[in-house]
Amino acid sequence: MRTRNVNGMRMVGTIMIAEQQQLLNRRYFLGRAATGIGTAALASLLDPTLFASSGTSRAGALGEPHFRPRAKRVIFLFMSGGPSHIDLLDDKPALRQHHREELPASVRMGQRITGMTSGQRSFPCVAPMFEFRRHGNCGLWLSELLPHTGSIADDICVIKSLHTEAINHDPATTYIQTGSQQPGRPSLGAWLRYGLGAESQNLPAFVVMVSQGSGNRTDQPLFSRLWGSGFLPSEHQGVRFRSASGDPVLYLSNPPGVDAAARRSMLDGLGDLNRLAADAVGDPEIRTRIAQYEMAYRMQSSVPELTEIAREPAHVLRLYGLDRERNDGGYARNCLLARRMIERGVRFVQLMHRGWDQHSDLPTQIRGQCRDVDQPSAALIADLKQRGLLEDTLVIWGGEFGRTVYSQGTLTATNHGRDHHGRCFSMWLAGGGIRGGITHGETDDYCYNVVRDPVHIHDLNATILHCLGIDHTRLTFRFQGRDFRLTDVAGNVVRGIVA
Amino acid sequence: MSTIRLPSLTATVSLLLIATWPGILPRGAAQSPALPSTRIDFNRQVRPILSEHCFRCHGPDDEERKAKLRLDTRAGMFGKLRGGEHAVVPGDIAKSALLARITESDASRRMPPPRFKKDLSREQIDILRRWIEQGADWSEHWSFVPPRRPLLPMVKRAGWSRNAVDAFILARLEREGMSPSPEAERATLIRRLSLDLTGLPPTPAEVDDFLADKSAAAYEKVVDRLLDSPHFGERMALDWLDAARYADTHGYHIDAGRDMTAWRDWVIDAFNQNLPFDQFTLEQLAGDLLPDATQEQKIASGFNRNHMINFEGGAIPKEYHAAYIVDRVNTTATVWLGLTVACAQCHDHKYDPISQKEFYQLYAFFHNVPENGLDGSKGNAAPLIKAPSKKVSRALQDLQRRIDKLARQPDSAKELAKLRQEQAQLEKTARTAMVMAELAEPRDTFVMLRGQYDKLGEQVRAATPAALPPFPAGAPGNRLGLARWLIDPQHPLTARVAVNRYWQMIFGTGLVRSSEDFGSQGERPSHPELLDWLASEFTSPSLGDRSWDVKRLIRLLVTSATYRQSSRMDQASLARDPENRLLGRSARLRLQAEFLRDHALSVSGLLNREIGGASVFPSQPAGLWQELASRTDSKNWSAQFFTQSRGKDLYRRGMYTFWKRTSPPPQMITFDAPDRETCTVRRSRTNTPLQALVLLNDPTFVEASRHFAERLLREAKTTDERVILAFRLATARRPNDRELAIVGTALVKQRQIFERDPRAAEKLLNVGEAPRDPRWPAAELAAWTMVASMILNLDESLTRG
Repeated sequence: MRTRNVNGMRMVGTIMIAEQQQLLNRRYFLGRAATGIGTAALASLLDPTLFASSGTSRAGALGEPHFRPRAKRVIFLFMSGGPSHIDLLDDKPALRQHHREELPASVRMGQRITGMTSGQRSFPCVAPMFEFRRHGNCGLWLSELLPHTGSIADDICVIKSLHTEAINHDPATTYIQTGSQQPGRPSLGAWLRYGLGAESQNLPAFVVMVSQGSGNRTDQPLFSRLWGSGFLPSEHQGVRFRSASGDPVLYLSNPPGVDAAARRSMLDGLGDLNRLAADAVGDPEIRTRIAQYEMAYRMQSSVPELTEIAREPAHVLRLYGLDRERNDGGYARNCLLARRMIERGVRFVQLMHRGWDQHSDLPTQIRGQCRDVDQPSAALIADLKQRGLLEDTLVIWGGEFGRTVYSQGTLTATNHGRDHHGRCFSMWLAGGGIRGGITHGETDDYCYNVVRDPVHIHDLNATILHCLGIDHTRLTFRFQGRDFRLTDVAGNVVRGIVA
Repeated sequence: MSTIRLPSLTATVSLLLIATWPGILPRGAAQSPALPSTRIDFNRQVRPILSEHCFRCHGPDDEERKAKLRLDTRAGMFGKLRGGEHAVVPGDIAKSALLARITESDASRRMPPPRFKKDLSREQIDILRRWIEQGADWSEHWSFVPPRRPLLPMVKRAGWSRNAVDAFILARLEREGMSPSPEAERATLIRRLSLDLTGLPPTPAEVDDFLADKSAAAYEKVVDRLLDSPHFGERMALDWLDAARYADTHGYHIDAGRDMTAWRDWVIDAFNQNLPFDQFTLEQLAGDLLPDATQEQKIASGFNRNHMINFEGGAIPKEYHAAYIVDRVNTTATVWLGLTVACAQCHDHKYDPISQKEFYQLYAFFHNVPENGLDGSKGNAAPLIKAPSKKVSRALQDLQRRIDKLARQPDSAKELAKLRQEQAQLEKTARTAMVMAELAEPRDTFVMLRGQYDKLGEQVRAATPAALPPFPAGAPGNRLGLARWLIDPQHPLTARVAVNRYWQMIFGTGLVRSSEDFGSQGERPSHPELLDWLASEFTSPSLGDRSWDVKRLIRLLVTSATYRQSSRMDQASLARDPENRLLGRSARLRLQAEFLRDHALSVSGLLNREIGGASVFPSQPAGLWQELASRTDSKNWSAQFFTQSRGKDLYRRGMYTFWKRTSPPPQMITFDAPDRETCTVRRSRTNTPLQALVLLNDPTFVEASRHFAERLLREAKTTDERVILAFRLATARRPNDRELAIVGTALVKQRQIFERDPRAAEKLLNVGEAPRDPRWPAAELAAWTMVASMILNLDESLTRG
């Protein structure tokens, strides 16, 4: 670097020192990375704004995706509790002939079932108590409970052959969200935040929103590990946006009585004092802290702007069903917020809609659950599509497992329940990288076992990463001497559904 | 407690000890191949290459092994291969098949196979070649060889070292052509010490005393005062709670409450009483099995009941019973052995000599607890014992005394009955503790194929891994024997792993950075001789001191010149050693989550210093638990509805905040506290905008700011005096003129804002429960509250500098 005059030299000198340091750091970490250490730290060093900060990075560990991504963002509409594939997505006309018949042992094949039904003396098959109809040019068969989903039939790919080893909620939700049935691993969103970094300067990269379903009042709990960072640095954990009263982001609002001017004035003083300290002490971490306080301040305006959905035009609110009173625990609002987040650079939006655990009263409960989610989910796809966002946004709809073909509890003419079932279940995907208007995989006549193209949840996760341009075997983090991945030692990209 | 006096450090000591350890540090030469003349060190240079690139197929895992070649043992490395050749023939590169295969020009035959994406670099191949040329010295992985006490290295600079720690640190700095930083200011030192040893800042009076104490032992006096403080035990316990995955709920699914506060109290007491680390180990792993085990020793054994427990309807008991035991094995191995045995749950370990069978041999030690696979819906899970709190114990004793006295008096039947009823009631509701216990007939233990609880293989008996020292002769084949095996002073891992964790606690980063992994994939120590010296000093101290003495070890660390350095960084030292692995300066560390809270409460004067007892519920945003909890069923279980504490329970130290695993305290999680679902021995350290939001807006911090402001207004007169006091409370130092001016300007602005809007001032001042001091006008107090918050948010306030 050359200098021309005294003033210039001083400036250039400062830059030179910073650059030199960055280079040195880079060389140091590249040296370390060659021996397999510190890719996260490396990433933070390559981030020009926060290069010297320890463990804080907006850039991802991968730097660039492994190959050209088809999707840049993900919205995961997680149906917590395990929606019945039999009653919604996996139409099986032949099952109607087996209604009330005992589930044949040749179908069950001695597979383990949960402690809730393992004591039942009888396992009568139950055909859906709903009609199925064809939708779209592709002729997708869908339950009458999902008319709006029918309107996006040509945009979605229904996978009917998902399967998981887990048969209870805690291990099954933990499995699909973290790749392991036991706690301790990072969640899907945390992996993406770690690998791809943050896009938005004013919003978190990984957001979680929870809504309460109207179909089932005794639904099973959720756990913060489902959006946790596991052994990844904690900055990668999902940030909850809350729909109830109060701050959408915890502690976002100034204390009562403190307005933006008072906050700004206080932060100005704080920044001045911290800059003096940075000069005196020389710790680059102080400059990072100053920057983070400023980002917090920006979030105080960017988040309320984001959550101000009343400003959306009437036709958009109508599309999501937000033009009338809803009893969906906030699901429709969360779908609309998801789109607004995606537009503003949030990378991964995780919606959790509770109440899909139909052990009893399935016909009534599932009707309520579908009323909650059908229109807003379809609206989200349509809305993304008309804004040109669907082509690089991956949307996933589904739960942690399916439900049993046999009745849990007494089967009557109008009522029954279904227990958890991991041997097969259905989900739909749409958008970035996914072929619309197709179904993938097949189950037997009892919706009990996969008979064609099985998709394990590791395969699903591998495919999600694939859509984002990530080779799932190469997104790793070394913990306790081992290179961990979201897909553990398994996972194959489901080529048949990738565009 | 004695200081360690050094003989003259410049005296003749063996130069042999000063081996060079490049490679781990940013040094120009370290990035390029070492000079051909230098001798290759197997453990430092060769084993990491083999571990990373070869062990996956040619390591400890019997199942995955290819070509029957094993490179992690001496026999495998030098023995005859299937084809009659040898992988390595010392001194003969032409006959060494290993070299031929890694340099093979035919890519399909070259090792490692390209599909693993683990290609060797030219430098790595060069290291392997020169190692063979130089005679292929082979040695065990460093951490599996018992530490030998090294002699102190020779240093050039006289007069800097204060104890043995410094000799090692200085020798290394000198080898790198670097020098230590000057000693930090006294105010910095006392704040650093107070935060490191108690998690609380010093009071201005303590700072003044230290500044005024001109005696030679002034510093050591402070150290000893802090080591004797009852808050020392709290500070030390906190890291142990992470390791022990302590929580107040069971963690799975419904996540109902449990009560392990008796165990937590035991840990605090153990550190305060300076229970030696070997005894600390023995009681927590096998307190229940000690002869005539006391109540306290049984409570201590609860260490291995802190794992998550499930009672999800429909779950299969056997599956979860197995998960609990796996957790005990993994936690015990991480905490005491620094080994990642979890890798051997499903198959032989790929990098370290632990077979899958050996994993289940360890499992057998923890398999004999009379417990249920599904339990915990009503609180603590069996086995458990009564463990009344100190307060209830005293009340019970008191009742007993009164009953005894009354029993001797005539006509006391009615009153006696009343007291007995009271006694029964108190006993019924008294605290319990989950503990370990041993079945008379041990359960059969089998290898679980692929780690699956329902796929059993060969039957095994309790035993320790063959690559580690033999089980002590005559020791019982149960947890007690296992604990005795761990605390044998010759055990290569226990002391190193423990000492390294204490080093990490005091210096921010372990000598082995991967404090959870001392195996072949873990990082090598930055100062191997120092680690070994500390380990042997811990187990077999010089000068006839007590062994395994934790306070003595901490004292040794904090009285070193290394510890007392300034934390200032200049561009050169930052560029040279960005992570400060050479310890040429002191670390600057943001306070951990709990201590940030403690700091603000302490500075403001709100802190409730009560030690131990039940967990408390300080403020958190409404609805956090309820939004995740099961809804209408919640009344059937505890810990489903958050009810905020009142009064002085709002101001207890962060470590007593009720820890609900599925929805941990948001302030803690935001500042890198782990979720306490599994064992954690090293927290991450991040710096994020969400952290700023907590410190600026969490009602606890807002209330602390208001209380801090009232204290400033009360205890000092002029604006400058008040700002000086604020800095002294929050940073232990006095502000300079520029800082005074900045704060003064901020105060004026805040005053203008609140004088214009007195109602806003009232609103701000109404945050929190602590009564407001009515002497100050609202606008004035609100302005000072903002200033106080600003000072609490200084990077310097949040940081141990």
